[in-house]
Amino acid sequence: MGDGGNTRISSSLLALSSAAVLAVYSAGYVRTRAAADRFAQQAETRRPFIAVAPAGAPPSTPVAPPAAAPPAVAAANAPVAMAPPSTIAVRRTKRPSKPVLKAPTAIVTPAPAAPVSDPHAAAAEAPPVATQDVAQAPAAVPPVPPAPTRYRDGMYTGWGTSRHGDIQAAVVIEDGRIASATIAQCLTRYSCNVIAALPPQVAQRQSPEVDYVSGATQSTNAFYYAVVDALSKAK
Amino acid sequence: MGTIVTIDVVRDAPGDCVDRAFAWFREIESRCTRFDERSELRQLSSRVGQPRSVSDILFEAVRFAIAVAHDTDGAFDPTIQSAAADDVSYRDVLVDAYARTITVQRPLTLDLGAVAKGLAIDAAARELQPLGDFAIEAGGDVYAAGHNSAGMKWSIGIRHPRADRELIDVIRVSGMAVCSSGDYERGAHILDGRRRTPAVGVAGATVIAVNAMLADALATAAFVLGPQAGLALLQRHGVEGLIVTPSLERFETANLPRA
Repeated sequence: MGDGGNTRISSSLLALSSAAVLAVYSAGYVRTRAAADRFAQQAETRRPFIAVAPAGAPPSTPVAPPAAAPPAVAAANAPVAMAPPSTIAVRRTKRPSKPVLKAPTAIVTPAPAAPVSDPHAAAAEAPPVATQDVAQAPAAVPPVPPAPTRYRDGMYTGWGTSRHGDIQAAVVIEDGRIASATIAQCLTRYSCNVIAALPPQVAQRQSPEVDYVSGATQSTNAFYYAVVDALSKAK
Repeated sequence: MGTIVTIDVVRDAPGDCVDRAFAWFREIESRCTRFDERSELRQLSSRVGQPRSVSDILFEAVRFAIAVAHDTDGAFDPTIQSAAADDVSYRDVLVDAYARTITVQRPLTLDLGAVAKGLAIDAAARELQPLGDFAIEAGGDVYAAGHNSAGMKWSIGIRHPRADRELIDVIRVSGMAVCSSGDYERGAHILDGRRRTPAVGVAGATVIAVNAMLADALATAAFVLGPQAGLALLQRHGVEGLIVTPSLERFETANLPRA
């Protein structure tokens, strides 16, 4: 289990240090540089958080359109269709349903679309991502009250991206409710102090719908998406 | 790290890469500091006996620190004893490279200061790579890439360990990190991990390596090991360096890139 034990691993220190720098930098690179490009054309409006039925509920919840439909959606809403929450969920979710990652259309589609091809996996992995059909939802729609949502207890983390870098949120669920939310990692180019007021709002409101912080819209959105991502894992 | 970070760019830097380079210092420092009980590092030490999943930054920093400790048989040892256990060592920290977890088996604190500073310099250097020519300095550790504004390799002075305003040598580097470990800045503060007493055989050790994390760790280890064993360590790792004893005797590798 130990990394090396008592064996001398001298010759590998150079390789190990180089690999370490690369690993750390690459993780940050994905979340900073690439994010800037990826969201260069993203609208600044935040998409509504739509609470979905918790895990275990019958999959009759109106989930994503069948796999054949998404291209039209994506084409019709090209710039807006890059819905960050689903993108993140697809990218970071380690589900056995590989097709999600392979099918290009799935990137701009809510994740639940793909598991349809594998009913067993879909049943086992029931929780769909938190937002769905976001590309079609008007941006101004008020949030659906999340009251009926019961989450699974535990701590969940999620990432939110913005063109100024990414934020990782950690959400703690106790007794099915959001007990606390914190900023676990702040990789934005600006200090996350500017949005320090937001994490407590998540527990107060039992929702990721936090206030906007004037002058920190990008950080606000990144935090929002991070909470959405985290909550999607708690269902 | 409580250190002043200086980034020297030869030409106007496009975009925000300098901001991002500084952001690496803040991010890595906030994760790896042992002076803030809320830091991820301190959270890690607070759970004894449980494998813990940690961030990439903390994992890589701990993994490297522990690897250096094994390599030097504990001359470099990032563990600090606690009141509850005064004979802890790097062997009490298990790193699982596959699960990417770290297990602290006994109550102890990890000092990742040198490794974290090196890692931050290296991450910042990657961020600045598009610039071609730049230098990063943090607390005496330097990474210099490309050329200086005069079009020459960067000239790095090595401080004289016994004369504040003098240099004991000057080297020229490009694409390399230069890190020093000495008793002159904070007195005899580097402990010999094997004996837990201050190391006294070396006044200053400077290492030149491709990245700052390696250079800083090897400089610290060489400082602890003493001139002969320290020089052997540098040679074994194929890096260049200069070790100066308190009596100003010099031990250096064969190809120190002297200016």
